[in-house]
Amino acid sequence: MAATELLSDEGYRADGRRPAELRKVRARMGVFTQADGSAYIEQGNTKALAVVYGPHEIRGPRSKALPDRALVNCRYSMATFSTGERRRRPHGDRQAGELALLLRQTFEAAILTQLYPRSQIDIYVQILQADGGNYCAGVNAATLAVMDAGIPMRDYVCASSAGLAEDTPLADLSSPEEAAGGPQLVLALLPAAGHIALLQLSARLHQERLEAALEAAGAACHALHAVLDRVVRERLREVTALLGD
Amino acid sequence: TVEPLEYYRRFLKENCRPDGRELGEFRATTVNIGSITTADGSALVKLGNTTVICGVKAELAAPAVDSANKGYIVPNVELPSLCSTRFRSGPPGEEAQAASQFIADVVENSQIIAKEDLCIASGKLAWVLYCDIICLDYDGNILDASAFALLAALKNVQLPSVTINEETGLSEVNLKQKNPLVIRQHPVATSFAIFDDTLLIVDPTAEEEDLATGTVTVVTDDEGRLCSVHKPGGSPLTGAKLQDCITRAITRHKEVKKLIDKVIKSIKPK
Repeated sequence: MAATELLSDEGYRADGRRPAELRKVRARMGVFTQADGSAYIEQGNTKALAVVYGPHEIRGPRSKALPDRALVNCRYSMATFSTGERRRRPHGDRQAGELALLLRQTFEAAILTQLYPRSQIDIYVQILQADGGNYCAGVNAATLAVMDAGIPMRDYVCASSAGLAEDTPLADLSSPEEAAGGPQLVLALLPAAGHIALLQLSARLHQERLEAALEAAGAACHALHAVLDRVVRERLREVTALLGD
Repeated sequence: TVEPLEYYRRFLKENCRPDGRELGEFRATTVNIGSITTADGSALVKLGNTTVICGVKAELAAPAVDSANKGYIVPNVELPSLCSTRFRSGPPGEEAQAASQFIADVVENSQIIAKEDLCIASGKLAWVLYCDIICLDYDGNILDASAFALLAALKNVQLPSVTINEETGLSEVNLKQKNPLVIRQHPVATSFAIFDDTLLIVDPTAEEEDLATGTVTVVTDDEGRLCSVHKPGGSPLTGAKLQDCITRAITRHKEVKKLIDKVIKSIKPK
């Protein structure tokens, strides 16, 4: 069974992590000047870039404008060189379309869209290197980018995946672990209130085991929140130091 | 600025630009090589605020019938809506297509790589190098940045050795033994914007490109030969002015060559 290989007899994963351990996270805000907000994140070998434009006037047909809140427009693309095999279609395929939709729904839940009626907020996510948890890295980068753009949100949105090896929950799956075919759970959390913005489970799982996986993913999201919060505070300190002089 | 053109003219009269550069001065150029490990070769180039990433993916394919001993190089420039508000999402726009064609021409004309080097077995097997260039932040002069990123990424490519088994006729890939590509030439692009039909400024920003009456791009190789001169319409230029451009392009080539050699050397010891 594939699940047994996920965890060695000593209780370590293939890449040497413990079950609940996250991959190394490195993030930076405000990487580009053209955009209103931008951020770059590395979670292990997964590298994602998020850029935010807006809030601005509606582009395209005016009928798309919402009278009571802002329209959140998302686009998700993976570079052709981001995966082991070259991708033929970097964006516009079904998977990218689905992930863009998920991203939009996640951020509609977090951004205070009612503050900007009849306007549009663009969130573009580009995966530069894919090694599992692409959607999660995209969400985390987008959170930082939205903050960098100064758009008010209810809370951070932190996303992480979790899987199960037999009964042991694994946090933050890498690409080989995703490919092993065990159950996988993707969670986007607003950590302060513990509200779930998005939850996706893509395998058959007994109801009793959901709890453990959910808990592991939740803990991973809280750990990520701590890291992202540090990045934001550091960035603020830098910016205020520049303004202060 | 309220009157951008007038604003620029005042600066240019004093031989400088609003960002503090002289007319013949490039923006700070940085290059980072090999940051994408899923690609066979990659490079991130920053030209001031303009940021471009190039990833090279190698695949095996049968060579074309009429050139049995040649591989393929397929460059592609992408200007996604992510890099600037001026680009719409959807199929590649005119500017992206023009840039892709320009890069393809540079590859073809400069003989940066001899396509024969990419052939493994004549008529049977050859490498296809997909060079995807994505602009991440657009602030003008995309051609210079793309050409530089492509060159740096190709310098970084490591291809596994492939042999064809005589008995079975199947190819065998040895991932343990990797070889760098033979880079025959180092083409470097230098772009100019023409202001008010006479004044030439080097490495224009997006704002300068919008205000300019025309642009010229000159590509030179190691021996100072021209690989490409690209002047897509705009205001006319005298031969003498074009000579000035070429002279500046040759000095720029030396600067870029020095930078790339330094970066390659810095990652070699590993």
